Amino acid sequence: MDPLLIGTVLKSIIVLSIVSALAGFGTYIERKVLAFMQRRLGPTHVGPFGLLQIAADGIKLFTKEDIIPSNANKLIFSVAPAIAAATAFIAISAVPLFHTFEFTVPVINQLVIVPSVIADINIGILFVLGMMAAGLYAPLLAGMAQANKWGIIGSSRTAVQFLSYEVVTGLSVMAPIMLVGSLSLIDFNNAQADGVGSWIVWQQPVAFVLFLIAGFAETNRTPFDLLEHEAEVVSGYATEYSGLRWGMFFIGEYANMITISFLLAIIFCGGYSDIGFVAGWLAMLLKVAFFFFLMLWIRAAWPHVRPDQLMWLCWKVLMPIAVINIVITGLVVMLG
Amino acid sequence: MFELIAFYTISVLTIGLFLVTVLSKNVLYAMTALAAGMSLISGYFFMLGADFLGVVQLIVYVGAVMALYAFGMMFFDVTRDIKEKNTNGAVVFIIAGSVAVMLTMIFSMPLGINSIMTLVQPEVNATNPEAVGLVLFTKYLVPFEVAAVMLLVAMIGGIILAGKKMDDSLTSTEDDKIIDTEGL
Amino acid sequence: MNEIRKEDERVKGTQEYVLLDLSHSPETGFDQFAQVVKRTFGKELFVGLWVTLREMGSTLFGKGKHTVSYPLEKMPIAPRYRAIHDMLRLLESGNYRCIGCGLCEKICISNCIAMDTKYDENQRKEVSEYTINFGRCIFCGYCAEVCPELAIVHGGRYENASEQRASFSLFEDMLKPIDMLTQQKEFDGFGAVSPNADENIKKTPLAY
Ligand code: SF4
Ligand code: SF4
Repeated sequence: MDPLLIGTVLKSIIVLSIVSALAGFGTYIERKVLAFMQRRLGPTHVGPFGLLQIAADGIKLFTKEDIIPSNANKLIFSVAPAIAAATAFIAISAVPLFHTFEFTVPVINQLVIVPSVIADINIGILFVLGMMAAGLYAPLLAGMAQANKWGIIGSSRTAVQFLSYEVVTGLSVMAPIMLVGSLSLIDFNNAQADGVGSWIVWQQPVAFVLFLIAGFAETNRTPFDLLEHEAEVVSGYATEYSGLRWGMFFIGEYANMITISFLLAIIFCGGYSDIGFVAGWLAMLLKVAFFFFLMLWIRAAWPHVRPDQLMWLCWKVLMPIAVINIVITGLVVMLG
Repeated sequence: MFELIAFYTISVLTIGLFLVTVLSKNVLYAMTALAAGMSLISGYFFMLGADFLGVVQLIVYVGAVMALYAFGMMFFDVTRDIKEKNTNGAVVFIIAGSVAVMLTMIFSMPLGINSIMTLVQPEVNATNPEAVGLVLFTKYLVPFEVAAVMLLVAMIGGIILAGKKMDDSLTSTEDDKIIDTEGL
Repeated sequence: MNEIRKEDERVKGTQEYVLLDLSHSPETGFDQFAQVVKRTFGKELFVGLWVTLREMGSTLFGKGKHTVSYPLEKMPIAPRYRAIHDMLRLLESGNYRCIGCGLCEKICISNCIAMDTKYDENQRKEVSEYTINFGRCIFCGYCAEVCPELAIVHGGRYENASEQRASFSLFEDMLKPIDMLTQQKEFDGFGAVSPNADENIKKTPLAY
């Protein structure tokens, strides 16, 4: 059999299971980190250090009654959570995670090549961003289908946030694309293979910050978590959801956080190439863990913005800066 | 083999979804079917090896249809069916009929004539986005620039239309700065 | 003259009030932009990040957590707290202090104390029935205040959830168990400060 095919299938299965498990584990980490930052305990009772809290939450979500409100549009209401989870996983499929490596299965002597990226398309970065954008259909549809005014407010905020920050994401990532001259994430990784000094973040700090901010908006994390801010719109698009469907939104959100962390690491911070004696995969994991932690950290430290501030920030501050950044980068690339 | 299966699946799904878009009385169904159909069209591009165009199709239409959703949200109760106002049957027939005839003619054109040829030879060594870029910035530079100017005009127009009350602060504490909602 | 001023200062204490900088909202677009730039590149955002990180560090490796793991550990409650009543005993004889005078029954404003007395074989008054209906008690503390023998006081049991209203209500339930007589604490009175009062004193955060 084709060793590449086996490796790809193997990798898809492993990534799917690990990322969905990580999404659950992410909630645990988030609760622990937030708790420590606020001098609390976090989950402690289920299992050692509360580690089995994930399992307890899972059981709770599985066995909870699955309510569909009688006035809701039932089909769309049930489909929306699936969109959240599915698009998040599809997006990961085009992100290179680690080096390509190969091994031989001992007994049947079958060579297996595990590729660094599941779906190696040469416009990976656009595909990932497009898929994450498509993921915002989940809150949009969920909010509109549930016949609840908080849901409608949540989904209109989704539309607003998405339409604005998509522009910033695209523009901010344009400058690194011009430097590398490719849309393939693997090329991005290879362009930064010569150690820490060659990371794009040093050449494009502005683009990095912009992409980070837009990434927070796209994953609906705290400074921009308008979609479901309890104090304002009850639970926004998720108001009427319970049980497993609600859980799928959260798997999607955490998977998206992981994707954005990987993207930040690959586009700006050297990807999975070795740093000195630190192996590539370890460096990658550390970077991803750092960006994931950053998201939790910022959630603990900063308040969130009002919707009008969000729009103001996007259109009057971030977008002009992104455009200027592109123009300057273009000039440098042309003259240099 | 795989491609055939994929092609037929995607075409059936696309046609079905667009039928839902046209025939459904529910705004939410119509728009969701439209968005799904538009995303599926990118599947054809992927099958043809035009990855770049496929992704562009995805990104552009995902955003565009979301703007439609915003309108749907503003004007309709999206969970209810819409009672359509029946306009004059004859007008509908003439317009729809002529559009149908025109489309049929356009799409059957290549069947009759065998003088179809590629105007622009794609660069063999270039990757997908590069090929698109080469064609766009050499042969079709003028249409491209015209489109760019049009978009710029649209953007400025949008800002002017939306920005009339932009200087009024929603949060200022001074009385005269607070928007007078009565007078709006 | 100087003496007097010093005296004055000693009485008043020196207050280090800081006026909060409640500046107006920015008005022009440029002001807003300047504010954002100031807030983005100024210290504010990073101070926030630093504070949370510092707290995380000191939670994990330093001072520990603030959380009281409630069912396992409890905060000491103040003596003036009015929880379920305790009936105290005489330290010397171990006999209960209540002399059956009936004052608490009389003063109880929600009429929830019911008692009955009789003469025992020594012709001393004995409390034969004593119940407090805790479904009605408003924990006003009058009974404890009026008791001439300091017999009925408010104890520290504040976990009042029970399956029946009748729980806690019998004399024997409220009476200090005889084997815990040595731990019986005298009621400190209504003005008493809580045992951990010193720890609870904090500087008022005038300026953030
Ligand atoms: S605390 Fe007040 S209400 Fe309760 S028993 Fe004593 S006097 Fe009556
Ligand atoms: S006031 Fe005190 S001594 Fe008198 S009956 Fe009540 S508890 Fe007993």
